[in-house]
Amino acid sequence: MKTGKSPQNTIRLLENISLGSAVFAVVLCVLIIVNFIQIKRADPLNTPAMTALIEKLQSDPGNEQLSQEIQTLDLLARKAFFTAQWQVRTGGYLLFISILLLVSCFKAIELISVKLPKEPAGKPPMFWETRILKRQWLVYSGASLLALTLLLAWLTHKDLGKDLGSGKIQDAGYRMRDDVSPTPNPQSPTPNSQSQIPNSQPQIPNSQPPIPAWQEVQANFPCFRGPGGIGITACTGIPTSWDGKSGKNIKWKTAIPLPGYNSPVIWGDKIFLSGASETKREVYCLDAVSGKILWNSPVEKIPGSPSQAPGVSKETGQAAPSLTTDGQRVYAIFANGDLIALDLDGNPVWSKNLGVPANHYGHSSSLMMYRDILIIQYDQRGAPAVIGLSGKTGEQVWKTARNVKISWASPSLINTGNRMELILAAEPSVASYDPLTGKELWSIDCISGEVGPSLAYAAGIVFSVNEYSTLSAVRIADPPKVLWENNEYLSDVPSPVATDKYLFLVTSYGTAVCYDAVAGTKYWEHDFGNPVYSSPMLAEGKIYIMDKKGMMNIIKADKEFSLLSQCPLGEGSFCTPAFTNGHIFLRGDRNLYCVEK
Amino acid sequence: MRKTNLVPALLAFTTLFPKTVFAIQRFPKPEFESAYTQPQTQIPLPRGEFMAYLDVAVLLIALSVVTWLVLKKRSRLWVFAMSIFSLGYFGFYREGCVCSIGAIQNVSLALFDSTFVLPLSVILFFILPLLFTLFFGRTFCAAVCPFGAIQDLFAFKPQALGSRLNTVLGIIPYLYLGLAVLFAATGTDFIICRYDPFVGIFRFTASFGMFLFTGILLLSGIFIARPYCRFLCPYGVLLNWTSRFSRSHLTITPKECIQCRLCENSCPYDAIDIPVTTKSPESSPVMVKKMMMMVLIVPVLVIAFGYAGSRMQDTLAGVDPRVKLAKEVLSGMRDAGSGMRDAGYKMQDAGYKMQDAGYKMRDAGYKMRDAGYKMRDESFEIKAFKASGKTESQVYSEASAVLKKFYIGGWLFGGFIGLAIALMIGGRMLPVYRADYVTNKGRCFSCARCVDYCPVKS
Repeated sequence: MKTGKSPQNTIRLLENISLGSAVFAVVLCVLIIVNFIQIKRADPLNTPAMTALIEKLQSDPGNEQLSQEIQTLDLLARKAFFTAQWQVRTGGYLLFISILLLVSCFKAIELISVKLPKEPAGKPPMFWETRILKRQWLVYSGASLLALTLLLAWLTHKDLGKDLGSGKIQDAGYRMRDDVSPTPNPQSPTPNSQSQIPNSQPQIPNSQPPIPAWQEVQANFPCFRGPGGIGITACTGIPTSWDGKSGKNIKWKTAIPLPGYNSPVIWGDKIFLSGASETKREVYCLDAVSGKILWNSPVEKIPGSPSQAPGVSKETGQAAPSLTTDGQRVYAIFANGDLIALDLDGNPVWSKNLGVPANHYGHSSSLMMYRDILIIQYDQRGAPAVIGLSGKTGEQVWKTARNVKISWASPSLINTGNRMELILAAEPSVASYDPLTGKELWSIDCISGEVGPSLAYAAGIVFSVNEYSTLSAVRIADPPKVLWENNEYLSDVPSPVATDKYLFLVTSYGTAVCYDAVAGTKYWEHDFGNPVYSSPMLAEGKIYIMDKKGMMNIIKADKEFSLLSQCPLGEGSFCTPAFTNGHIFLRGDRNLYCVEK
Repeated sequence: MRKTNLVPALLAFTTLFPKTVFAIQRFPKPEFESAYTQPQTQIPLPRGEFMAYLDVAVLLIALSVVTWLVLKKRSRLWVFAMSIFSLGYFGFYREGCVCSIGAIQNVSLALFDSTFVLPLSVILFFILPLLFTLFFGRTFCAAVCPFGAIQDLFAFKPQALGSRLNTVLGIIPYLYLGLAVLFAATGTDFIICRYDPFVGIFRFTASFGMFLFTGILLLSGIFIARPYCRFLCPYGVLLNWTSRFSRSHLTITPKECIQCRLCENSCPYDAIDIPVTTKSPESSPVMVKKMMMMVLIVPVLVIAFGYAGSRMQDTLAGVDPRVKLAKEVLSGMRDAGSGMRDAGYKMQDAGYKMQDAGYKMRDAGYKMRDAGYKMRDESFEIKAFKASGKTESQVYSEASAVLKKFYIGGWLFGGFIGLAIALMIGGRMLPVYRADYVTNKGRCFSCARCVDYCPVKS
């Protein structure tokens, strides 16, 4: 062991250095912590100044000076952020050096000023007593640890194994439900064969409300263009004469608070619509008997919903997609991707934002319901897809990516006689999917451009059309086959409608045309003189064609042109009419009308 | 070395050897033609084959040198110098990886998962310190382990902790070891690495929380020498056991103890056993009775702790990412979110109906609803699951399998803790006789501080 006189001066010097290092280290430590907290708090890309400038630029997109200003501020903010990070890093190195110096000085002092060890005062510790004490403490600690573990186990035990087991059973149940195939129907499909849509409902393990039977669905008007979304209704006693201005046959008329080009959907005596501005989105429920707005549910604070409404064309608006309902809930989607499910009393059940669709005119594809699956055609730029969500929870049941361009068309649900098929149109194809699994069944390239019109279907033939493209009749077979094509009259908004024998097409500029459904022969054409955005509907052998000025043109669904009547609404209309037995519901620019016979 | 000690060591080595390969980068990064430099995402970067063996060679040389310094040179100063080297090489240069402490997890996982590839260098890092300890005591702790070295630097004013605290805190390393092996063996996590307090310092990448924890640990180390080594280190448990069998352990005095008592308080780690020349105050029949009772109590303790461990199955398995995902898929979060949101709407409605107080309630409702929305937001795990194409049943099956592992693992972990506590109690019932001041082979870090205090020189 080293002995001898310690060099006091060296020790004093080392003490001074260590004191200086200690002070430096403490100051650095404080600075690093403060800087670290600042970095944590700072969000350089979302400063109030930056947000304000971006908002300004959005209202004045061509302002180059503002754009430059944002770039400069952005660069400054990033520089500040990375400088602060550099400061923390450099501070860390300096702190390390100062602590190293401090420790070195202490160790040097320890080495220089070695003192002779002293004999401990008093007797050595009592070994046996200490040992007994240790034993006792081990017993106490062990008992406490055991008690604590058991308490924790009791408090935190969740029977996770059982939950996972039941989860597996439930999942298997859902799979069983999805795997059930509809009963083949050998009959030739007709427009009315939609009523033969199989509805076999296997038992679902948990007690959920029953999925509405197809008869029940058909007795209502649950989505855009009626049950299945093919422009056909089985309702009867439909009025053929009215005048919105004079009030003739108008049962009631109700102003809708916010604008929207979505068409009414109906379940029982409840009518559902939506409306939206750039700042507000709402879902409305009206009493079909009185026209009174029963409830008005704001759609707000949906997670992921963008703070600003996307830019859309005036002819699409923020609420173009029609709603859908399964009699238990009503579902609505808006141009910003907000999707909400409400119960029939207007209480939100679930909601989500699907991401703002990259769609330059604005999202317009309407929703479709099959059994308990909500179907969304989300053909946007970049990641087009068709999505199936659980109506009950909003959870994704399936999602199928589509290799198509943007489309504005809505899905159609058809019964081919063998199975239910979900048919979608978008450049370059008309494609069919299994509505339960999202699996693509077939696809045929027969359409191009910015597809707006939805499809028509009858007698095993799907009809697709688009402006600057072609009108195609596709026979559903294996493989599907184009029966005929024609590009004389085309539509870019209204969808066609078909019977077993005829196809009726209305162009956006107001010319109605009738073709032979199988051969493609043109039977007649008639120019109504006004543009049309509403899709024609087939009811009781008549075609209802609403033009943009609000005139309903009712013609006979026949190969001979026969104008049955023309009924003015009194205001313009873009929307497709909805039907119940004895009633038509028409949405004008501002009001919803109920027409009765 | 006795043959009995060699056999288990060789057995372990030969069991693990067939699974070993060299650590190589399996998926080389793409090369860019531009001047873009790819950021380093893995710290430290994987070592090449040669460098990995260089590390092993350095470890072997360091162990040999320190052992020689402790046992032959008996120089605290040189041991300290070696600890500075180890801190520099294994700590700051190798950034704390690979380390013998963390290797416990690799070895555990390799023993329970045949698909896990265990590099030979990791095995050597695990085994070499244990082998040296088996022969020469914990010379690895003395000056080779960078964790010990950095703490040793701060041990300026070590204070005796008191036997009670020392004993109680001594249980923690067993818990940590048990948990580390359990989580590694089930493929859940490497908790020793995740919560390593020193690598953040070695790599200059410590998170704020970890920086704070390390700071507290090092500052407390000024008064409580080597707190991590004594009251946390899981590898220390294995070294403690092996060191008890070491034949050539560091002795305080090179010759005969002269009972001067100068070394009595020299050890900052409370690792010097004082002479015991008196008999236990408890009579022999009482001690025998207690010992017999202890023998009976051991299985009871093992079963009781094992049962408690198995009952912790859900909580422990909750750490596993597969179980977490299954729980999330099971819609716990989603339903909770929707429920809270609905509650929020109800409160909001109530708020509308009431006037002044109502506004406050409505605000509270908004807050709850927002919280609900946040909870309902999908996690990355859920998104990844949906993108993976796996079915929910598969996720539940995987989680159930993990849960089962944790049930068995919980029994083993609990049983291990019960056994450890039982043996600690039992060990303190055995008769003791020693005439001199000696180092406690299990606890002694072979730092050679006590050597300087002994007036007897060779």
